[in-house]
Amino acid sequence: MPDLNSDHMEENKFDVIVIGSGMSGGWAAKEFCEKGLTTLVLERGREVKHNVNYPTTNMNPWEFKHRGRIPADIQIENPIASRCYVFKEDAEHFVVKDKEHPYVQEKPFDWIKGYQTGGKSLLWARQTQRMSDYDFEGPARDGFAVDWPIRYKDLDYWYSYVEKFVGIAGDKDGLDVLPDGEFLPAMGLNCMEEHFKESTSKNYDDRHVISGRCAHITENRDIFIQQGRSQCQYRNLCQRGCPFGGYFSSNSSTLPWAMKTGNLTMAHNSVVHSIIYDEEKEKATGVMVIDALTKETKAYYASTIFVNAGALNTNLILLNSKSNRFPDGLGNDNGLLGKYVAFHNYRAYVLAEHEGLMDKHTTGREPTNAYMPRFRNVKEQETDFLRGYAVTINAKRQILQNNSGFGEALKNGLLNPTYGPWKISAHMMGETIPKEESRVSLHKTKVDDWGIPLLNINIDYDNNDEKMIEDFFEQFTEMFEKSGYKNIITHDSKQAPGLDIHEMGGARMGNDPKTSILNKWNQLHSCKNVYVTDGACMTSTATQNPSLTYMAITARACDHAIRHFKKK
Amino acid sequence: MAEKRTGEMDRRKALRNLGILTSGIVLLPSCDFSKEKVSLVLNKLSITTSQEELMKELVATILPEGEISGAVSLMVQDFVWIMVDDCLDPALQESYLTGLSNFKKDFKNVEGKSFDSLDMDKRAKVLGLIEASKENAAEKINEDFLSFIEITKEFAILGYMQSEYMMTEIMPYPLIPGTYGTCETIDPNKRININA
Repeated sequence: MPDLNSDHMEENKFDVIVIGSGMSGGWAAKEFCEKGLTTLVLERGREVKHNVNYPTTNMNPWEFKHRGRIPADIQIENPIASRCYVFKEDAEHFVVKDKEHPYVQEKPFDWIKGYQTGGKSLLWARQTQRMSDYDFEGPARDGFAVDWPIRYKDLDYWYSYVEKFVGIAGDKDGLDVLPDGEFLPAMGLNCMEEHFKESTSKNYDDRHVISGRCAHITENRDIFIQQGRSQCQYRNLCQRGCPFGGYFSSNSSTLPWAMKTGNLTMAHNSVVHSIIYDEEKEKATGVMVIDALTKETKAYYASTIFVNAGALNTNLILLNSKSNRFPDGLGNDNGLLGKYVAFHNYRAYVLAEHEGLMDKHTTGREPTNAYMPRFRNVKEQETDFLRGYAVTINAKRQILQNNSGFGEALKNGLLNPTYGPWKISAHMMGETIPKEESRVSLHKTKVDDWGIPLLNINIDYDNNDEKMIEDFFEQFTEMFEKSGYKNIITHDSKQAPGLDIHEMGGARMGNDPKTSILNKWNQLHSCKNVYVTDGACMTSTATQNPSLTYMAITARACDHAIRHFKKK
Repeated sequence: MAEKRTGEMDRRKALRNLGILTSGIVLLPSCDFSKEKVSLVLNKLSITTSQEELMKELVATILPEGEISGAVSLMVQDFVWIMVDDCLDPALQESYLTGLSNFKKDFKNVEGKSFDSLDMDKRAKVLGLIEASKENAAEKINEDFLSFIEITKEFAILGYMQSEYMMTEIMPYPLIPGTYGTCETIDPNKRININA
């Protein structure tokens, strides 16, 4: 049981405890440490130090025993992790294996996790698009979920604040659907993507192809030098950890920054069991932790607690934080905790070919892509489904290798490849509607290695998602046809939710404590010294890759908490 | 100290001469002294010298030596074994091993002549015909035989194209490209580098 002996309380006491060292937890650590608050970051995984624990980062392809492939026995043991695109020989050590932290799939859901310093910020796809008021006003306008308690004007400053530190490459595109930010030079479109942009803008007023804004340094600035980071070298091996710090991760950026202040304490292998609630003080006083290796229990105390464990683990921790006051989980007076979870629908893509620009190709390896912001139902409802989708677009000159035959013929074929037409792909990122039945909950009997209940996950696609896929296929087939592309193929991967790694919600923000878990400052309505600023806080998903929004929301909530400290 | 270091250097040199340090694959005499086996140490499979010899000959047939090195001089045969050992799922691995065991018998059944009696060009032609016959539904070729040939070829190509030699000397792989060229004009006189 918790050791609440007051002697121990002093040595385990901090101003702030941050649960999780990933994308948003790293930001909380930076903000609090910079402002002079003693901060403990709890990370359930092992330590991964920037540039020290990136074992594969400088390996050439031939140095991998299986040339990147995952051995069969590992694949068989890890059907879920194996479906994740980064689970290859060069980065599988950063992906949680299936047996390490099991969960219950009431419906198919691929839960991809990264338990180490930096969490999934080491592995992310680095797309950083701002949300707009078309997104924040969406639930209220279209009558789903609840109204967001914030608008774009509340986050605008914080988006800028975060972008200047992270380093975002992008163009000022002047689109109200995708507000501009603080950009470094864009990585740019290649000539076929440029071709698609031009022909699309001729054919449609509201469809814009832009260079995907991404968290890569494309121009040296003092703020990056101070972080020890330098320009992206177009290796496109980000998932291994970047020796240049060319892309943003907690490991390369926020955590070492926080550490330099002397105010940060990191505790690894620290699995959070629950948040401790003091009924007399009517607030949370600390966090109960189980050592991942020794399984010993330890309590840490702080006057403010930030929960940044990753959307679903944040739900799990809150649900498991039971007390007399909160028998169904911390802050769960209305019974909505764990409900209204949503994600991004990544099932659909369209491929096509173009026979122009035959004397051109690209060199180097581009770590971003072209991007088309949402164009469906933006200003008003115009289709038979709600909301819409953004699209990532990639064009690449095909190289054809003749693999047929044996002997000299085969060798000749392999050594003398030829150029084929350009290939272009469009990948849908659909907004999904948070629903009460899309939920996570605690299993009644099954527990993990640390005695914590397993998470039941019950999330699925719905008819709105299916209609959106159909529309995406129709629209992109039409767009590609109008731009002279051929051999257009539509494909539905039918992948389960989760593989998008954009799970959101469960502890949504809202104005009304009866219908939401968090207020507009990301505090639990009914336990205000606990803040949730990771994906769990999302009221709706929008179509943008969400990490930038988590970072901005975190910085904003930290500022709120710090002002509260000052008042004391 | 100095003496000891020289001793260590000599030992390393001797090991290198045996090819033990350089390849990362350890060649050790098998414990079964009744047969003169020198086999690769694999995780799951135990293979015989004659199987090793067959693999070497097949890999030499698939990607022969020439002005540009062939697969055997790049030790691709060892890579094929590693991939068969580690990366085939159990059912496919079983089929592969059956195909391997019966290869010479099946080859003779299809071709009429023994694999050993043919020169490399002829072997390559026959293998090409066998591969092509897969498309021909009328001819029914033993599945294990076919999958043995196809998988060996696939891994041989992978090991060859992603060998250090290929990725440094023939089609150099830049670990650090430094820039992204969004619209470069192709030089039609240059060999296309699939790794650039």
